[in-house]
Amino acid sequence: MIESLNQLLQGFGTALTPNNVFYCLMGAIVGTLIGVLPGLGPIAGIALLIPATYGLNPTSAIIMLAGIYYGAMYGGSTTSVLLNVPGETASVITCIDGYKMAQKGRAGPALAICAIGSFIAGTIAIFGLVFFAPLLAEAALSFGPPEFFSLMVFGFIALSNVTGGSLTKSLVMAILGMIIGTIGLDPVTGDARFTFGSAYLLSGIEFVAVAIGLFGIGEVLANVEQRPEVFEQKIVVPRLRELYPSLSDLKRSIGAILRAAVLGFGVGLIPGPAPVIATYASYMVERKISKHPEEFGQGAIEGVAGPESANNSACQAAFIPLFALGIPFAPPTAILLGALLIHGIVPGPTMIKEHPTFFWGVIASMYIGNFVLLLLNLPFVPFFANILRIPKKILLPLVMLFCITGMFTVNNSIYDIWIMLLFGVLGYVLRKLDYEGAPLLLGLVLGPKLEVAFRQSLMLSHGNFTIFISRPISLSFTVAALIFLFVPLFFRMVRRNRAIKKLGKEG
Amino acid sequence: MLRRILVLTFFVMVLVSPSVGTYAQEFPTKEVQIIIPYAPGGATDLIFRALAASAEKYLGKPIIIVNRAGGGGTIGYTEGAKAKPDGYTLTAAITPLTILPHQVTTAFTYKDFEPIINVVLDPCMFLVRTDCQWKTLKEFVDYARKHPGMITVGNSGAGGGVHLAALAFEKAIGAKFNHIPFAGGGPSITALLGGHIHAVSVSPPEGIVHVQAGKLKIMALFGERRLEMFPNVPTVKEQGIDFTMSQWRGLAAPKGTPAEIIKKLHDAFKKGMDDPAFRKSAKDMAINIYYMGSADFGKVMAHDHEFYGKLVREIKK
Repeated sequence: MIESLNQLLQGFGTALTPNNVFYCLMGAIVGTLIGVLPGLGPIAGIALLIPATYGLNPTSAIIMLAGIYYGAMYGGSTTSVLLNVPGETASVITCIDGYKMAQKGRAGPALAICAIGSFIAGTIAIFGLVFFAPLLAEAALSFGPPEFFSLMVFGFIALSNVTGGSLTKSLVMAILGMIIGTIGLDPVTGDARFTFGSAYLLSGIEFVAVAIGLFGIGEVLANVEQRPEVFEQKIVVPRLRELYPSLSDLKRSIGAILRAAVLGFGVGLIPGPAPVIATYASYMVERKISKHPEEFGQGAIEGVAGPESANNSACQAAFIPLFALGIPFAPPTAILLGALLIHGIVPGPTMIKEHPTFFWGVIASMYIGNFVLLLLNLPFVPFFANILRIPKKILLPLVMLFCITGMFTVNNSIYDIWIMLLFGVLGYVLRKLDYEGAPLLLGLVLGPKLEVAFRQSLMLSHGNFTIFISRPISLSFTVAALIFLFVPLFFRMVRRNRAIKKLGKEG
Repeated sequence: MLRRILVLTFFVMVLVSPSVGTYAQEFPTKEVQIIIPYAPGGATDLIFRALAASAEKYLGKPIIIVNRAGGGGTIGYTEGAKAKPDGYTLTAAITPLTILPHQVTTAFTYKDFEPIINVVLDPCMFLVRTDCQWKTLKEFVDYARKHPGMITVGNSGAGGGVHLAALAFEKAIGAKFNHIPFAGGGPSITALLGGHIHAVSVSPPEGIVHVQAGKLKIMALFGERRLEMFPNVPTVKEQGIDFTMSQWRGLAAPKGTPAEIIKKLHDAFKKGMDDPAFRKSAKDMAINIYYMGSADFGKVMAHDHEFYGKLVREIKK
């Protein structure tokens, strides 16, 4: 504990160098912008900026990219409140009460409480990160191939259960991602698979190309067909002095913020699009325990404070499995994993010890980043909201340009651009058919890891499958996966039986 | 008419003039590129970035690093082999250049390159946990011989240099290991630290931190000589097993590059290698500087191409 604090202080030494403060600021600003712009989410944002970090040292690079991730959580609320258009998926819930507040002329307090809540919850979650990540990293050494396999199976099942959409559709996407992930060199025998003699395909399908394609190009294409008035309508931007929430607002919100911080942190540790789930969970909890639940949906400030705090807390917590286990459970952390590898840092149990300057520098920068974002979001909300006034005919081609040039700089490969455009079209089609891109992306990242862990386990056990259930950690994940798989099915069956009985009685 | 003859003569003169010779004398007139067939931030990338920085002043022109990662190096080597043989596009040649052509269909072998200079030679080695059951190399080898397939040895990727090192070593001692591939040296070392496997086959600087911290120890060192950092660890050769295995990292130019240009490049990089700045960064990275001239480097490539070809064919059986 004391050691952690000491190292955190040294981390501040790293994070407070003028260079790193600058990159932290850049990340926070870009993140906010991306959060504000509907469509462009943190995934595309981070992927697009990876090439810009090539010249930087790893610490500065990840400070900036992490800043984009949590910065987007701040920015996402702005358009939810002002326009009823969520800037990214984790701010969907904020629309409900946030927009209602804005209609009642209380946009200022709604935005302010978003920023304050995000700051408090974010800061609490970083504290959790400081103490939990090293602990988990110690424990993570006991994770061998069978444990990783069971954990990832659990992750996939938990993920497809909680995304909210169709279970079948998200499983289809995850499996498609895994299939795409098999292209390239076989990780165990070194043979080429599905490469059709192409040297380019030997290294597999570039993950960043898929991410930018699905989430950047796909979004641009989907936007082209929308009618422009959505963004060009008149936006009522609150003035600075209207921003301050009243004392009673603060009083009503503080409980929600603190609960959301803890809740979000817990959710962040579980596989899945943590920030999104955390917002739903927090909203549900707040409505349930509120003394005036009837206000929810009519502009209850708790309904804004809770979810917005929860998504920030969850987003910080999601760094724990990434750093300590090296396994990303959400697309933005998957992209960050790619960025870490590009910079020669392999996250995992030994990372914190091997790269202490990096790890503690990045953590310390998160404190600074959250503080910067608080300052940035309170007075500059009007400015950020103005970004929505940029006509789409200028904005969309610009995004397209960034996607293409950004993609080229990742590997200096023209093939990658073709792959990206291909997945851009695929992303557009999938959107039309109501399939989500996120499970595909996770399947692509986790699939090869899952395969390797599975085959390694069986090599270790000389082909004996009991290795997955004879080791305690692996067994508990297997059991958890089974519970997640069958409990919803069971409830569905119970519900159906009841419905049938009810029908029988009525009939 | 006269004018026409003059013009014609001029062209003929231009055509027959020893253009290559003057060209080589003037070399370099612009910046020189080094293709790294691996990702930025890896050991190869770091080594040649450091070397480029210190060799620039001796070459007289900037040296630019271009990363062309992918396909275990095939993409970068393909591009490097196809480059114009004018000395302006070089390739970082490391051991897999002589392994890859045996494993997958490649558009190149080492024969498509002219060796310039070897810079680094890192021995392969087996690391084990300090608290493992084997105290000496002899105990380890005896156990391996008596219990075929029971010692699990991690490597950084199927068919990679350290995997082949482990395969060659088991052949040399007449044993059989259970080889477990990982996605890179880092994860294999983590699995060893967690006790999920018995040993890993690695090459410095991988795992050096943990050896220094006392958590891991070097069970078998396959170098020609001891490591500077751990002078107390004997090589396996010193202990009576006639086996050495190291991984080289050097520079090569496309086949057909004029010898004079190769020499100029060699001299500049040799001076860069001897530069104190490069020496220092090599020490920081815990890599083993090992100079070989163009001819010697070429012999090593040719030898390893045969050697790995045999080894890979044996695995595939």
